[in-house]
Parts: sequence; structure tokens; C-alpha cells
Amino acid sequence: MKLKKEFITHESDGEQILVSSDTRAFSGLVRSNSTAAFIVNRLKSETTIGQIVDEMAKEYDAPRAVMEQDVKKIVEQLASIGAIEGELR
Amino acid sequence: MEEIKFIVKLAGVPIGVTALYGSTRTFCGEYLTEEAPAFSVCVAPGDIDKERQKADSAHHYSNAYLETLALYRKIAAGLLDYDTLLFHGSVIAVDNSAYLFTAKSGTGKSTHTRLWRELFGVRAVMVNDDKPLLRVTEHGATAYGTPWNGKHRLSTNIAVPLKAVCILERDETNHIAPVTAREAWPMLMQQSIRPADPVRLKQVMCLIDGLSANVKLYRLGCNMDPSAAEAAYQGMQ
Repeated sequence: MKLKKEFITHESDGEQILVSSDTRAFSGLVRSNSTAAFIVNRLKSETTIGQIVDEMAKEYDAPRAVMEQDVKKIVEQLASIGAIEGELR
Repeated sequence: MEEIKFIVKLAGVPIGVTALYGSTRTFCGEYLTEEAPAFSVCVAPGDIDKERQKADSAHHYSNAYLETLALYRKIAAGLLDYDTLLFHGSVIAVDNSAYLFTAKSGTGKSTHTRLWRELFGVRAVMVNDDKPLLRVTEHGATAYGTPWNGKHRLSTNIAVPLKAVCILERDETNHIAPVTAREAWPMLMQQSIRPADPVRLKQVMCLIDGLSANVKLYRLGCNMDPSAAEAAYQGMQ
């Protein structure tokens, strides 16, 4: 799975903003904290939930189960706005 | 079909245009120049078809009208390289300071700036009633008139320092308060041109950062009484 190419991120005042170049598909704006932004950034190339958790484990000191839940939640939220292509896994 | 060629100067930048309809040249009339273009754009029949797909399908729009939309979209993309942003709003200048009112279509931007003209008389000049250009620098922004000036065709070919951007909402009473860049950001994004090209879209977001950091931002709740103009003006001094 990966982030669709129409979805563009921008760092503004310490936060990550995600918008779509196609407002007919998604006209809103998503603000991400640093953890969510880390996940969004990993999704810019083809990846899996397991791979993102592996990379998070190098950066963050949290139980793997908690990180996996966080990643799943963010991926599902992104999928709900049509920002993900490919299988959610 | 014969090509129409002319040079239009917008936000201080001369732009070469190749168009299909002579009416487009007439539309740009006040902004035509003989200066050497900084960049050039060309409208093709396919661009007009794309505008028709984007437009409200309940209306029939002429090709000539759709060409003006296609042309502005191309010009606005090119102007991003000149730190200039196409923005949706009504801009009025009073005593050489410009105030930009922005809101979704139908909220009453144009109605509000009409109240300003009634209040200030000759002190007030319409910069642009619909789609002004904003040149953004680290010191602030400048608002420019353009031929794309809304259904009442209100604009002036001038450049005025932008004093404030005001998000307008309808309310029963009149009230105005400053808002932070973070609060204003989603609305500023929604009211800016949205290029399909990711690189151009990034440029837009950088210009919104500059605009929101260097220009005062307000939220106005207002009715359509003449006192709304006075309340808004006083609140932004």
C-alpha cells in the first residue's frame, strides 16, 4: 500500500499538513502530529503495516502492539479519505 | 481556427498569451501591454473541455467564457514562480490599504464590500471583487486587480499593500476578532488556487505560510446592515 500521488504533504509551523490536488476526491486538510507524520512519510513509498512498525521501533520507545495499533488507526483514517492505494496490510 | 496572441500584465508580470477567441483579448483589455513577456501560456481546445468538465454541469457556458477560466488557471500556475497567489475573495482598498474578505461563494463577500463603498465613498476603491492576485513577500503582501473580477465586474488595475485578510461569516450581530495563522490556514488553503501539479501545489502552500505569517488575519461575523462595514473596519485598525 502507499499514499496516492495526489496527496501532498507540507510542513507548516511544526505540523504536517496533508491535502489533495484533486478536490473532487478530497477537499479537506489533515493535520498530523509528529508520530502520524512519521507514518504518512513512510507511506510515500510502497510499504506494509509491519514495515512501518519496524521503522517506528527504531525511532520510538513504545511497545510494538501499541505502535501497530497506532499505524493501523492512521492507515484506516487515511484510507477513509481515499488517500491510500493498494491493499491495507 | 486562427490563434489570438497578446501580452497581458498581471501582478506586475508581463505574460504572453496564445488564445483561441478574440473575446479573451477584449476581456483582458485594461491589462494589455507591449512589454516583453516573462513567461507565456497557450490555451488549447482540450483546456476548454477540461474547464467544462470542472464547471457546474447545470449551466451551459460558452467556449469563449471557459477559455477565460482556462487561461487564468494557466497564468496563475506560472505566477507561482513570482510568489504570486490566485485567491478567491473580494478586496477593497481604503486610504491605500487593502482588506481582503474571503468566504465560500454565496456568503456575502461582495455584499460586504459594497457596504464599505457606501460607508467610505470616494475613499474606497475596489481592487478586485472575486479573484485577486496576491504577491507575498517576507514583509507582507500586495493585492492586485485582475480582469477576473466577478459577476459585477468590479476591479481596478492597481497594486495596494494588503493590510488584512478577513474570513467572513454570516451572523445576526457584527463582531470581529483576530485569528491565528493555524486557525486561518484551512480556509486560506480552500480559497487558494489548487493546481493539479504537486510541485505547484507545494508552492501554493508555501505562499499560504507566507501570507498567514506576514498579514493580519481576522474572523468577522456580520449581518447586512451598514453598521457591519464600520464594525469590520474599526476591528482591523
